[in-house]
Amino acid sequence: MFSSINTVALNGMDAKLVRAETDISDGGLPILEMVGFLAGEVKESKERIKTALRNSGFLIPPKRITVNLSPADIKKSGSAFDLPVAISLIQAMGLIPEEGIGSVCMAGELSLSGDVIGINGVLPMVMYARDKGFKRFIVPYANREEGGAASEIEVIGVKNLAEAAEYLSGNQEIMPSQMSVRQLLRQSREYESDFSNIRGQKALKRGIEVAVSGMHNILIIGPPGSGKTMAAKCIPSILPELSEDECLEISRIYSVAGALGPEGLVLQRPFVNPHHTVTAQALAGGGSKPRPGAVSMSHRGVLFLDELPEFTRGALEILRQPMEDKEIHISRAAGSCTFPADFLFAAAMNPCKCGFYPDRSRCSCSEPEVRKYLSKISQPLIDRIDISVEAQEINFEDLRRRDEEEETSAEIRGRVTDAVEIQKKRYEGTKIKFNADLKIGDLKRYCPVGEKEEELLREAFSKLGLSVRAYHRILRCARTIADLYHSDRINTDHLAEAIAYRSIDRRYWHGDR
Amino acid sequence: MGTGEERYISAFDKDFPEKLKNIPMPPAGIYVKGALPNPEIPSVAIIGAREASAYGISVARYFSRELSKAGIQIISGMARGIDGTAQREAILSGGFSFGVLGCGTDIIYPRENADIFKKILDAGGLISEYPVGTAPKKLRFPARNRIISALSDCILVVEAREKSGTKITVSHALEQGKDILAVPGRIYDPLSRGCNSLIADGAAPALSPESVLEVLGIFRDKGRTKDSLNKNLEEKLSSEERDVLHCLDFDPKGLEEIINDRKLKDVARERIISILLKLQLLGLVNEIGRQKYHLTDKILK
Repeated sequence: MFSSINTVALNGMDAKLVRAETDISDGGLPILEMVGFLAGEVKESKERIKTALRNSGFLIPPKRITVNLSPADIKKSGSAFDLPVAISLIQAMGLIPEEGIGSVCMAGELSLSGDVIGINGVLPMVMYARDKGFKRFIVPYANREEGGAASEIEVIGVKNLAEAAEYLSGNQEIMPSQMSVRQLLRQSREYESDFSNIRGQKALKRGIEVAVSGMHNILIIGPPGSGKTMAAKCIPSILPELSEDECLEISRIYSVAGALGPEGLVLQRPFVNPHHTVTAQALAGGGSKPRPGAVSMSHRGVLFLDELPEFTRGALEILRQPMEDKEIHISRAAGSCTFPADFLFAAAMNPCKCGFYPDRSRCSCSEPEVRKYLSKISQPLIDRIDISVEAQEINFEDLRRRDEEEETSAEIRGRVTDAVEIQKKRYEGTKIKFNADLKIGDLKRYCPVGEKEEELLREAFSKLGLSVRAYHRILRCARTIADLYHSDRINTDHLAEAIAYRSIDRRYWHGDR
Repeated sequence: MGTGEERYISAFDKDFPEKLKNIPMPPAGIYVKGALPNPEIPSVAIIGAREASAYGISVARYFSRELSKAGIQIISGMARGIDGTAQREAILSGGFSFGVLGCGTDIIYPRENADIFKKILDAGGLISEYPVGTAPKKLRFPARNRIISALSDCILVVEAREKSGTKITVSHALEQGKDILAVPGRIYDPLSRGCNSLIADGAAPALSPESVLEVLGIFRDKGRTKDSLNKNLEEKLSSEERDVLHCLDFDPKGLEEIINDRKLKDVARERIISILLKLQLLGLVNEIGRQKYHLTDKILK
């Protein structure tokens, strides 16, 4: 008897259709043989499957049994093949009818008792199967919610092997699990930190608001204890709401990484802040079985690097390509894969080693020391930061001023959402999503400036020693500021603010010369 | 004036500056690139800390510019901070400046002052006791300082810590019988402590460039402090712009602090930012680090 069951193999985020084929033939010695370019954990599955079958009440006939995972030229790794192989065996034994099985896909790990255990990567698998035209996908019960987020495919969560077999034989009904992403997203969410908890810091808050509105990368500079980290932690609370598509995009990555929480989906924009000892690989992702790194885990969210100059050069340099391409390519001996990595880059740093420059009454760092500290961040990285703002030390007066109401994150988010809507409308039908995505060629079209503004730019360009790159960043940022004011035109005030936020320039760090 | 060629002038040479002969431990000879200071014209040494504050840099510039305009030669050690700033300003405002080095005249140290090492040859010269190729070493700087003070008629200390190389120059100057002036500062400011203690010890307080000129026997109308600043300039500004200007100081102030200033209660944030940019473009305000603004010396005249 021969049978074939559909399943999906994942390499990073890329899915491929795999068939678990089983043949039971009468001739030869009784043996269970598994072939098909299997990684160690898949080879081991033979013993798991045999025991799980026995403990679920299935007797493996003492015949020559060959299992093949086809196509045989892609490496099979992970534990998700247990269930399809076991079902394929049961079917080859003639216990499950053949009809209809061609439109079913499945994945899951087995325990020795026959229970189906949760696996990583269910969401991308289900979405892939749906795109390939499958009608049903059998997943472990633990993953049913995550899988249910995919529409137009029935997702069946099974608790154990026997249940799966019963279901496929038509002896037991299992309701497909369904999850309305929209409904989940509509539920109001609590954020850990809110901007209303930060006293004062108006300039800093405003800078962050502008950065988030146009998805500009931001660098926060300030002395120790000035609240840089606290402010950055509030960023998620003002990010625009997730759309359904974005929610699924992020959830797919988290599914592959096995980082989905109990709710089964990622419902908030991620905020990832790796410690400064992080390795380049952990940031970029990788491993022999490619896993998404911090840049992908912060997809459609925020990647926050605190104490930026303390990161190793290698780790920082690896950020350049994903910041440019919005995805990251990982090449390993086993092959290469691509993860999405479209994040808002936020970083915080001190202005010098001791943290108090240019307050000379407290900072005694020499100019070369200050320069050396800054030069730990390479120019190409600085070139990718549109906005830099100062965090000011809070004095006692500010802390005491309780009577003044601070703006809540919800209010700021309202303005951000408006600005994002304006951008959405403006860039309809183009690849551009946010002002930060504007390429140099687009600037003329989307950021036109009048004569007065041109004049201001020209003067600033020569007097403040701006670079051409800085000029383009200023235009992009001014566009966002104009959007925040619901203004079609960029005026001189918008430009002045954008110039005040311009990225750091090592040459002029010590004031003009 | 001045060639790029270096020449050696021994103490027995007729060109050897008279001022260098009458000091304890006179040099046996000096290497000169460019010109030597004109003995007929008064010269002032403007010296101070390497890691100077924004205030110190502004003051050094202001004094250097005004003294240069009065025709005074500026002598200093080409170092980072006060020294180089004063010399750069002297050259830029069309005056004369002379750099006394603790290394060979062919060595550009510190690197960040490479621009003045070139320009000074057309507006003065470089002087050193050491032959070409001598590396800059800490131990040579105190000896170099005695030449700085010897070549000058009076010494102006802009900013100095309690213990500093500037103090060494001052002690040489006292030994050589020169007048000392010091720019007073706040008592808690470590960079002003050196100056303030010099004043306590009898140095003349340098309240304006005129006080330096007076010591040299040159008299002009005096008394231009921040309060009586630059009337012409101020008249050109709108009232809002003036308000922002009056919020600022020579010490850097953060944007946050400026926005929260009570005096600017009625001015919108975006206006303040716009005005700050305008004042920067006018050269009245300078940004240091990120979003820290301070007044420049331009405001003083």
